Amino acid sequence: MLLYPSGFINAHTVRVFEEALQEAIGSGRFRIVLSGQGLRYVASAGLGALMGVIEEVRGNGGDIRIAELNETVLNIFEMLGFNHLYRIFQSEQEAVLSFRDGAGGGRTDA
Amino acid sequence: MSKPRRPSPVLVLRVPSGTEFLATIRDTTQRTARLAGCDAVLAEQVALAVDEASTNVIEHAYRGARDRQIEVRFLLTAGELRVEIVDDGAPVNRRALPEVDLERYASERRSGGLGVHLMGRIMDTVTFRRTPHGNVCCLVKRLGAGGELP
Repeated sequence: MLLYPSGFINAHTVRVFEEALQEAIGSGRFRIVLSGQGLRYVASAGLGALMGVIEEVRGNGGDIRIAELNETVLNIFEMLGFNHLYRIFQSEQEAVLSFRDGAGGGRTDA
Repeated sequence: MSKPRRPSPVLVLRVPSGTEFLATIRDTTQRTARLAGCDAVLAEQVALAVDEASTNVIEHAYRGARDRQIEVRFLLTAGELRVEIVDDGAPVNRRALPEVDLERYASERRSGGLGVHLMGRIMDTVTFRRTPHGNVCCLVKRLGAGGELP
């Protein structure tokens, strides 16, 4: 499943993001690609929302993979070490294909 | 010997304590940081740090109350941008920046402390103090040459 959050995710907007994640999980879709091409920035509320579901997603054989982050958002992910917790790809296509072969390496050099 | 003069704020923003005003705080911070000489990426990061500090005010000092005030003061001194986030809410006992273990956070579904940790990673210094009027969170980013208002 592809998710396209846009604008910024902070304490005011995080509920919409959480609902989108829960909708995916609730419908049994555990292979999720978060494409950040429209994402301007993510505050800790958004990062917390990702952390809140990742165990459940992986526990069901899936993953949340992230792609197309702008420099600001990528820096934030790296600052917090999220690049070690999540696989980050340059392109959405790479992230999608990584689920197909099961071995596409996560990159942080987007 | 005379006491060093405290720098005057170059800009003071006062908004209600609803999360819908975080975007206003974010935008104002981003623009002020650019005026101060930060590049685009750093200006966004400073805006994020101020967003996090303001979110903490709403969630902890005001416990979600939307009818209070958050004051954001921007001060420029020689070579640094200083942003103070001021509230008159409940005392928040935060003396140190928390350590964050992401693996543990994920397994425990925790996210508390992530915002303060992020503030510490972005800014050069993050301090909290309690005054007779409330809490002050002070964020400082040192700037390179040319970091001055035109």
